Amino acid sequence: MRLDGTENGDSMRRFVVALPLIAGILVFFFLLDLMLGSVNIPPEALFKILAGGAVKETWVNIFWDWRLPKAITAICAGSALALSGLLMQTFFRNPLADPYILGISSGASLGVAIIMMSAGICGAGAVFAGIGLIGDMSITVAAILGSFAVLLLILLISSKIQSNITILILGIMVSYISGALVTILLQFTDETSMHTYSLWTFGSFSGVTWSQLPLMAVLLLAGFIMSFCLVKPLNALLLGEQYAESMGMNYARIRILIITTTALMAGVVTAFCGPIGFLGIAIPHFCRAFFVTADHRVLVPGCILVGGIIALVTDIISRVPGTDIVLPLNAITALFGAPVVIWVIVRGTRFGRGVTT
Amino acid sequence: MSDAAILTCTGLTIGYRNQKAIIKEVAKDLDLHLMRGEMVCLIGPNGSGKSTLIRTLTGIQPPLSGDVLLSDRRISDFSPEEKAKTLSVVLTSQVQAGYLTAFDIVALGRFPYTNWAGKLTEKDNEIVLTALASVGARDLAGRFIHEMSDGERQKVMIARALAQEPELMVLDEPTAFLDLPHKIETMRILRLVARKTKKSILLSTHDLNLAIRCADQLWIIDSGGNMITGTPEDLVISGTFGSAFEIEGVRFDAIRGEFSIPVEKQGTFSLAGPDSVERIWTLYAMERIGFIPAEGTRADVTVTLRMDGDIPRWQYSCTRGEGECGNLRELIGCISGSSGGDDAH
Repeated sequence: MRLDGTENGDSMRRFVVALPLIAGILVFFFLLDLMLGSVNIPPEALFKILAGGAVKETWVNIFWDWRLPKAITAICAGSALALSGLLMQTFFRNPLADPYILGISSGASLGVAIIMMSAGICGAGAVFAGIGLIGDMSITVAAILGSFAVLLLILLISSKIQSNITILILGIMVSYISGALVTILLQFTDETSMHTYSLWTFGSFSGVTWSQLPLMAVLLLAGFIMSFCLVKPLNALLLGEQYAESMGMNYARIRILIITTTALMAGVVTAFCGPIGFLGIAIPHFCRAFFVTADHRVLVPGCILVGGIIALVTDIISRVPGTDIVLPLNAITALFGAPVVIWVIVRGTRFGRGVTT
Repeated sequence: MSDAAILTCTGLTIGYRNQKAIIKEVAKDLDLHLMRGEMVCLIGPNGSGKSTLIRTLTGIQPPLSGDVLLSDRRISDFSPEEKAKTLSVVLTSQVQAGYLTAFDIVALGRFPYTNWAGKLTEKDNEIVLTALASVGARDLAGRFIHEMSDGERQKVMIARALAQEPELMVLDEPTAFLDLPHKIETMRILRLVARKTKKSILLSTHDLNLAIRCADQLWIIDSGGNMITGTPEDLVISGTFGSAFEIEGVRFDAIRGEFSIPVEKQGTFSLAGPDSVERIWTLYAMERIGFIPAEGTRADVTVTLRMDGDIPRWQYSCTRGEGECGNLRELIGCISGSSGGDDAH
């Protein structure tokens, strides 16, 4: 395809051409994620289940109760993380920004740690420990409360402070403070809670039950829609906030919208899946290089699709198909993500955005 | 007069304040008029308040007192979108965006006109391409901004400001970072734009020589915050231009319209020869090594330029002796001994 400016939005056309292929890949990995795991469901059985035919009961149970919510969660979470990473990278004009840069996940961690400590001290621990990590709604609620507390703090600060570099530093400092509080809190928790907490920090797509899934999906969908609405101001922000303002963009309003949208998506994902790292920072870079554009009209849908794909792949790998082993999801995302980030930094000096702010 | 003026300021005082009090007054009681289709160069030494004035005139920073009128309306009364359709800017900071083509960047200039998704209509497309063509960057359309030279990038940024279809374009030091030919090219493009599209242009620059040659009007701020405005030639003739910029040892040469580099005086010289490029540059060379024309008095050095067909020859006589040289390097070497080129002998 020619890169000729006479054709408006050539990158857009390229994207539209590639769209069926990418969607196909997404469907392929979605099905693969449904089939593979400690128990592999053969393809014929999978289609029979979908068609309502009779197959082994364990397979049906595994499929409905386990695999399907997990695969849907993976797609939603991967897309949301990629999108919020994209928003943050454009907003801060920094290639190393990620969804958690505002301190959202640290707020969530703090919320979770507080719940566990109170459980440990009040004796209510038995209740929580009994239920365990999976399906424990209290962890989700605590994480949502934690991340929105941080969001409110950041919004309050950003209404007073103009420079977004200051906001960035404040976000990082908030992370340190809540990280410190978490470490202190963990000193007072019993071993079971500590283990539960560390399992939560590993990240997992399989903790979301059918009863929680609609809530998560609706919240994330709202985030996706908000991101689509932000496409034009995000493009203007590529030239820097001064240019964006000179073109008639209301920076104060857009800033609040971007921060809120990011916090919504990152907070919800952290609440339901734990703090999943590296997807949010790596996928936007991957998309920019893959679609050869920084145009958000391509990158927003691109990140949603590619984010879903990569999340499914990391989930499949972390399950180590055919075995009972489950590797920490964060280990897999880091193994995928870190090389992408290294590649960006090495390449960034010549191509792309570089590491300047 | 006011219907021809796109930008008018009366009694404008610019500077900085915090919540309570004025911290610093940069310039006081400015009365400025910028006509439609006119190109104005804002010049002044570093720290004189050029940027503050530009920020105030573009409505980024409120004035301490007085009004800035854009098309006879107070600039603070404009909605962001209305302002964007009347005024566009080229900032001095370099754009750091990767993976954006020149077309993409110029298309962003259509921001105030496009729908929520920023979709370009046929008309928008045409305007973008016309903007690129009018800065001579039509063939850059598909190139990525991070692969461009500074000069090409500046053209694209000017095209972007143009695609915004403003009535006034404000450029903050558009010629900084460029080498001389590209500075001249940028100025030429801006002049053309002002002439052809009847847009008004206000630009700040440090290139005084270029400003004298290009601007319809000069706005000069001196280091005390005093503003002098006028046609460049008038300001040169009246000597205002020179006195605003001369510093210890640097003088403005009103004949050549440029600042001369001071040298230690070595002596006087007289030059004979036909009017030619060679003669003019012989003069410059003598001035560079510290000889000034001997007017009436006896010259320390006598140089005679003679053309041997197309080949110039220089005969000289001075206290060191006399002789003939084939180029100026040799001549300088012979006259000044060590300060020229010694390897001539």
